[in-house]
Amino acid sequence: MRAFQMQCKAETIRILRNPYFVFWSLLMPIVFYIIFTKVFNTNIQDKQEWQAHYLMSMTAFSVMGSAIMTLGIRIVEERTKGWSVFMRITPLSDQAFFAAKMIGQTVIHLFSILIIFLAGALINQVTLTAFEWLMSGLWILLGSLPFLALGTLVGTMKRVDTASGVSNVIYMILAISGGMWMPMEIMPSIIQKIGVWLPSYNLGNGAWEIIRGNSPEWGNFLILLGYFFLFVLLSSYIRRKQEAAV
Amino acid sequence: MDSIVVLDHVTKTFKNKKAVDHVSFSIKKGEVVAILGPNGAGKTTTIMMMLGLLEPTSGEVRLFTSHPKEKKIRERIGAMLQEVSVIDALKVKEIIQLFRSYYPSPMPFEELVAFTGLSKDDLKRRADKLSGGQKRRLGFALALAGNPDLIFLDEPTVGLDIASRKLFWHTIDELKAQGKTIIFTTHYLQEADDVADRIILFNHGTIIEDGTPVEIKAKLSKQSVSFVESEEISMKELKQLPHVLDVYKRKDRIFVVTDHTDEVIAALFEKKLKISGIQIEQGRLDEAFEQLTENREAM
Repeated sequence: MRAFQMQCKAETIRILRNPYFVFWSLLMPIVFYIIFTKVFNTNIQDKQEWQAHYLMSMTAFSVMGSAIMTLGIRIVEERTKGWSVFMRITPLSDQAFFAAKMIGQTVIHLFSILIIFLAGALINQVTLTAFEWLMSGLWILLGSLPFLALGTLVGTMKRVDTASGVSNVIYMILAISGGMWMPMEIMPSIIQKIGVWLPSYNLGNGAWEIIRGNSPEWGNFLILLGYFFLFVLLSSYIRRKQEAAV
Repeated sequence: MDSIVVLDHVTKTFKNKKAVDHVSFSIKKGEVVAILGPNGAGKTTTIMMMLGLLEPTSGEVRLFTSHPKEKKIRERIGAMLQEVSVIDALKVKEIIQLFRSYYPSPMPFEELVAFTGLSKDDLKRRADKLSGGQKRRLGFALALAGNPDLIFLDEPTVGLDIASRKLFWHTIDELKAQGKTIIFTTHYLQEADDVADRIILFNHGTIIEDGTPVEIKAKLSKQSVSFVESEEISMKELKQLPHVLDVYKRKDRIFVVTDHTDEVIAALFEKKLKISGIQIEQGRLDEAFEQLTENREAM
């Protein structure tokens, strides 16, 4: 049990010390938040709602990024450097190693959510009810699961360069067409039509509903769940194939 | 039987290329065994199968009479592998403590540090910032973290300078004195000779020799008697002397290759040949080793 705790702690520390994580998942969302709520916010009617809405967008954007990129690239790195093979001769089981990674990521997501929420409260005095803060935070935390699964899918790639390139592109496409950078309403209608089916939109929309005093739509929940299973299946299928090839 | 490693007719085929071909051997507790052979001889593949990282295509590998993948076996082994870099973003100290936490009765932290010769400053550094030699030392510390009974070292001294190499083998002697069983691969014959109780010589996926360094050396190294002829001597006549394996001439010296130098010298005097400047050459082990593996290749 001590081994598992130590492993979770080690995984968490490793993400915190990763400059990519600090830049993409903490700095960028906060900088974007300042730009889009302080600098360009001329003709928005309900300013308070927009500030809360965009805070949810940026928090989801942050969590998505660390789930896809930090996790995915790290898995590829560990494999190419021979580390994952080396772990297999220690008494720590593959499952415990993997679970520790997921727990480490989740702790980091929680940390990111708290930091970005705090930034929103300080920068724009965003005021939500305690229930809304809690529920939106929880929604984003749980909603990160399909993205973690997508991260493990990225993790099946052979080279670090490919993984970081591909995950970057996926991340940006998901963020933009899911309405995280700009509201969905101002997107071209074709992107809106595709966007509503993307996991990023469904993650964001749940939180956007919560801060408007509603509950997330059932569709948001079901689509995220569907993506979760899809990515888990795909990545375990590919991993099994890769192992069989040896 | 106190054999703690048993390989029984183990074969490993990669895409119809046989990397290891029907290899069988067993290793007893406390033995220090060198697996020796040229590149591509199947040394690493054999180590990987012993560690349970590769499954044999056929045959069976047993460690402590169990499958190497079992948790209770993993708790008793430690390994240093090739091409394993260190984990990033953690300090040396943190990695060592993390690894110690995996095992039920780890080696004390201070003892591990002493074994690897890492300094106090090194311990506080990020592992990925260490030099190549320091990373190897950390790798060695991780192999020993669980205070293992059985230690695997795959090419442990590659990339180490002479001083670190010496220190490393000194450490291995200490571990041996503690009764640890150590299996290492190398392609330096000299290392195997200095450290191992037993050498298993691999070539093309099979074992071509298995014995003590003295036995192996006797088989591998060819001694020779050389001299300068004062009048012409028939090479044919020399070849017919007992114990003579080969005769050749190089830079005015005649070399008589033999497995028994005393007998050859006696025979030379008996024949009252007009010769001078007699020398006995031990024959270089490395050369002989190379020659032997090449010969097998030609077969």
